Amino acid sequence: MKPRLNVIWNEIYCKRCILCVEVCPVGILSLEMDEIVEKPGCIRCYQCERYCPDIAIEVMDEGEKSS
Amino acid sequence: MIDRSYKELLKLKRFPHTWCPGCGIGAVLKNVAISLRELGWNDRNTTVVSGIGCSGRMAGYMNLDAVHTPHGRALTAAEAIKTVRPDLNVVVLSGDGDLGAIGGNHLLHTSRRNPNITVFCNDNEIYGLTGGQAGPTTPKGTKTITSPRGEIFQPLRLGRILTTQAPYFYARTTVYHLNHFKACIREALFWKGFSFVDIISDCIELNGRRLGFKTAHQMFKWFDERFHIVEGVRDHLKDDELGIAKREVEAEVKAEMEVEKEPKVLIEGLKLFTLEELKHFDGTDGKPIYIGYKGKVYDISTSPLFQGEKRMRCHIAGKDLTRDIEIAPHGEDLVYHFPMVGKLKVKAEAEK
Ligand SMILES: Cc1ncc(C[n+]2csc(CCOP(=O)(O)OP(=O)(O)O)c2C)c(N)n1
Ligand code: SF4
Ligand code: SF4
Ligand code: SF4
Ligand SMILES: [Mg+2]
Repeated sequence: MKPRLNVIWNEIYCKRCILCVEVCPVGILSLEMDEIVEKPGCIRCYQCERYCPDIAIEVMDEGEKSS
Repeated sequence: MIDRSYKELLKLKRFPHTWCPGCGIGAVLKNVAISLRELGWNDRNTTVVSGIGCSGRMAGYMNLDAVHTPHGRALTAAEAIKTVRPDLNVVVLSGDGDLGAIGGNHLLHTSRRNPNITVFCNDNEIYGLTGGQAGPTTPKGTKTITSPRGEIFQPLRLGRILTTQAPYFYARTTVYHLNHFKACIREALFWKGFSFVDIISDCIELNGRRLGFKTAHQMFKWFDERFHIVEGVRDHLKDDELGIAKREVEAEVKAEMEVEKEPKVLIEGLKLFTLEELKHFDGTDGKPIYIGYKGKVYDISTSPLFQGEKRMRCHIAGKDLTRDIEIAPHGEDLVYHFPMVGKLKVKAEAEK
């Protein structure tokens, strides 16, 4: 799995509905090779986490960020 | 950082849940759990009831006492539970077909009897579980598996039926309008009496795709085109409005009830507490738990909600809760059950 910048993704809970991809206001999430991939540029708006119906994506707390 | 403690209310061991990718039911489950958590409703004081259908699976994913009833009978079980255990919060989680079609008769009569229960209806305008047949809330003209040329009948307008006689609480929202959705959930949980939240939701697999939508988000955009939010409280909602329609009992009747509810002051010359002094009685080290309410101090130490470990973490202890209790469900009645132990010096008085 690709390294995570700002969001933690749970591949077991995720059903690849791409809601997170479509609600992200800066368009940095995508579904590639059956994985939710995060590009740099997250503004930590929490939209992906709020909309995910499967509790499969979470924005990291400031402390956990690998920067 | 955001609060994720709502997950304690969900049976994460059973995740991933059964619903299709992008199905709105997951959003309903999650947001109801968030609100219950915020209000402190938990396995000690809350029961959830579901009927049958994809939506009817919701109660089974909650870490609360849950009842999975036969098709259409969620309200019968919920009302019975509330009747024998009025101290419990009762929440119904079910679908539009379950509540509006086979359970329609119960919806009429339970709402008429106005028990203090809250219903969250995942309204996907279809019978999802059985394959996408037209149901009672399917809009006229919708193509479904049983209406390939478009549904020919008018839908049942739950919003009109449930707002014919006061008291009533009916809210319509969607899984897309998240802030509005959460506000409706909270308001409904606070309402004393029968409250119904009609949550327009997506059945992407067995309804959305037939209508030409490829993803749940495309359906969300369609909800946004079909509905708009109206501010403030209404008597009724038009068919394309999202908002809250509520009315209390007639004014005179209510005034009478208020008078009866005031507790009688039994002890003359009650001890006077300042807010500082009140803080001391927070339940730690065997001290009692006192709270302030409308200028009086009550001893709530005996409440089953704050025993054992919970006693130490009782976040309301030693505080003046006048404002919080006024907005909480059954707040007042709860306080008046406990012994009054003193009067509270309000700020202005204390400064003198
Ligand atoms: C007595 C009875 N009649 C019919 C059924 C078949 N049945 C199961 S779920 C369902 C419809 C559920 O629709 P809804 O409440 O809208 O739930 P959804 O699946 O759309 O979430 C029906 C008709 C049943 N289980 N029991
Ligand atoms: S919204 Fe959730 S379930 Fe859907 S693709 Fe994103 S992480 Fe997966
Ligand atoms: S937090 Fe906001 S910006 Fe960051 S990935 Fe999620 S939706 Fe996109
Ligand atoms: S059939 Fe429809 S309602 Fe049932 S889980 Fe799938 S999308 Fe949701
Ligand atoms: Mg349905």
